[in-house]
Amino acid sequence: MHFARWIMVAAFVAFFGCGGTPPATKSTVTKSGEGGTIGYSALMLTNPFFQEISANMREASTAAGYEFLEVSADSDVKKQADQIDDFIVRGVSAIIINPADSQSIGPAIQKANAAGIPVFTNDIAYAGQVGHVISHIATDNLQGGRLAGEAMVELIGEAGGKVAVLHFPQVESCQLRVKGFLEVIEAHNGSGQGGRIEVATTLDGGGARDKGHDAARDAIQSHPDLAAIFAINDPSALGAFAALEAAGKRDQVKLIGFDGQAIGKQAIRDGKIYCDPIQFPDQIGQRTIEVVLQYFRGEEVPKQILIPTKLYRQSDALADPDLNSAAAESNSVQPDVK
Amino acid sequence: MSPISDPKPSVPPTEASIPTESKNALWHEQVLLWWQPFARDYGMLFVLLGLGALFSILTHTEQHPTGADAGQQVARSILQEQGTAAQVLIVARQTAEDLEFTTTLSSRLDVEGAKVLRVINGDPAATRLAIQELIASNQLPSALAVNDVSSRWGVFGQFEETRNLPAYKPQPYYWPNFLKRTNLLGVANQTAVYAIIAVGMTLVILTAGIDLSVGSLVALSAVISAVYLRDFQGGAAAGIVAVLIGIALALLTCMIVGAFNGIMVTIFGLPPFIVTLGVMLMASGLAFRLAGGASIPELPSSFFWLGGASTYGIPNPVLLMALLYGIAYVVMSRTVYGRYLYAIGSNHEAARLSGVPVVPCVISVYVISGCLAGLGGLILSSNLQAGDPKFGLMYELEVIASVVVGGTSLLGGRGKVLGTLIGAFIIAVIKNGMNLTNIDPFNQKIVLGAVLLTAVGIDTLKRNRPQAFRRAMVT
Repeated sequence: MHFARWIMVAAFVAFFGCGGTPPATKSTVTKSGEGGTIGYSALMLTNPFFQEISANMREASTAAGYEFLEVSADSDVKKQADQIDDFIVRGVSAIIINPADSQSIGPAIQKANAAGIPVFTNDIAYAGQVGHVISHIATDNLQGGRLAGEAMVELIGEAGGKVAVLHFPQVESCQLRVKGFLEVIEAHNGSGQGGRIEVATTLDGGGARDKGHDAARDAIQSHPDLAAIFAINDPSALGAFAALEAAGKRDQVKLIGFDGQAIGKQAIRDGKIYCDPIQFPDQIGQRTIEVVLQYFRGEEVPKQILIPTKLYRQSDALADPDLNSAAAESNSVQPDVK
Repeated sequence: MSPISDPKPSVPPTEASIPTESKNALWHEQVLLWWQPFARDYGMLFVLLGLGALFSILTHTEQHPTGADAGQQVARSILQEQGTAAQVLIVARQTAEDLEFTTTLSSRLDVEGAKVLRVINGDPAATRLAIQELIASNQLPSALAVNDVSSRWGVFGQFEETRNLPAYKPQPYYWPNFLKRTNLLGVANQTAVYAIIAVGMTLVILTAGIDLSVGSLVALSAVISAVYLRDFQGGAAAGIVAVLIGIALALLTCMIVGAFNGIMVTIFGLPPFIVTLGVMLMASGLAFRLAGGASIPELPSSFFWLGGASTYGIPNPVLLMALLYGIAYVVMSRTVYGRYLYAIGSNHEAARLSGVPVVPCVISVYVISGCLAGLGGLILSSNLQAGDPKFGLMYELEVIASVVVGGTSLLGGRGKVLGTLIGAFIIAVIKNGMNLTNIDPFNQKIVLGAVLLTAVGIDTLKRNRPQAFRRAMVT
């Protein structure tokens, strides 16, 4: 019964530890809050986007002397709430989450608040009333949507034509993307310059390759004269591309995506997607940790930080050192760059 | 009268009547008699205890006290070293324990004649403001009284006046994170929903069935009660009666769905796997439809009692779980109904021919399973303060895993309800322990899968080839 003896020893130590006999420890306070722990519950770590956010947060927090813990909620609110419980038990200094549900994660945030642990969110905002989030760091999706709209105007603004939108309406960030996109298109139509761009159909592309494929296939069935498609992320844009290729409309229908994941960038380089407003998960991660450190320094922390997107075109892709150049070289479409 | 005169070995002699030596031997045998079936049925209990021991060792870390005792301790140290000349800045958070820490600390310092410049219960920003004010009014502290959390705040390093001050904080002690009261209660609370649904699943599996619809019923029940309260009772303003009606409505729906499962399985003879797979999809779709795809937070606070409050310090879901397992244990081991279920699972046809009412019994287990899944959904939405159609995702697998790790055979007829409770706790403890010991989320899945396979492997080997198992264990 090693364990029993061991527990007794632990209990003994604990008893005298909190018995008040030893004096308090005395030291000077650490300069930047070294030795604390930051806990991160990601929406899902299988998604490269959150992997990159996590990697950058790990780097920034380790550099600042914090230990960094990551867990994956796999889109399950209960699981995420349990993970926050575990963080509280471990006594972490700060908690960062991508809420698995923008409402029902509230009580878990409230529990962390009650335990005196500050909570930060990134990418997905918490929209509920119970519980307090110090700061939210995310992509400026509205601005991104506008960039996509401007790219669309540049692409078919002269001639005008029909456009399909592959939406993912359940997600707030996608609603903002489409909203920004439509604003620019309406402004263009209102200006009277060039041809009219008509949003012929808005379909649910599910944010995924298979659903994007089906939605795009249906769109070109019902609108054979479609001029372009705006898809709210790269997987659904690539699904749409597959549908266009199968229908032999690859040259007729232009594609604009969103995100700038590696697969999306590669597709832009290969000419499959015209361009993407790209997000910067690395910046989201770094800014989040910056904000946490700011908070601990007692500085004023903005309630929300929006990181603007940037339009990424084929010329950017060709100059991008991160892209797989071997794949590009084997592709005969590519010009010989040496 | 005395059984001494009656040497018949088949009748066990009473304790008073036998000589001491044979009484000892009997005592030994009796322990074995009791022990062997216990070890067979609840062997997994030792696995659970072993896991608890393992994680206690692995999570044995420095703990940082706060509260009244810690306040006394820090005050004493400051007085010893700086005496009444001390000018102290006290900084901690706004939690209940930290408030105790700062009030005890400041009143002790006050009584002993040391000067407390400022007591801060707040965040780093409040601390920064206070330090700025102190510097402006030229009241410079000679000591910082902090606890572990506030000592880590970077705010003190921002000012020349506080950067190199002696900071007094409570002496840390060592204790496993795993064995903290909040953690153990947390584990029980996290498991409660799965464990409650697993009671119904155990009954279904004992009759050689399976119920894949429980996860979706969790969502459906959460959504039905939330939609009813929001649309017909004014959401957050709803009264207690409305809450009870909402709960009843949700449970009733889930029981009807359960009855549908049972009828399809018995009267129409469809395989349980297919029936409940279909119902799983329908119930999930219905939940999303009713909720419009979004979560529903407009609930009255009386609804949060079930899943969010505690009674005598124990979370209500845990109490409910204990109660349900108590009932299920009695029903399964002491009633005819329990016997019937085992009989049906062992041999469906033999049970029917012996006069067991197979059809009503099987329908009833699906009704119970549906009802408990609905209860799980209510606990979940009560705990998370919203009804959400995304609840219950993959719970069916989680719950089946608990049942199987708990030693119930998927072929039916063999297993114990309390084994399921142990199984649910094994899975919960592994998850909690892995979170506490910082195991990579991808590896967590691998470990959980391996545990499931090991549990089932050992169990199958033990039951089907006891000799081979014993040999394998010895060598």
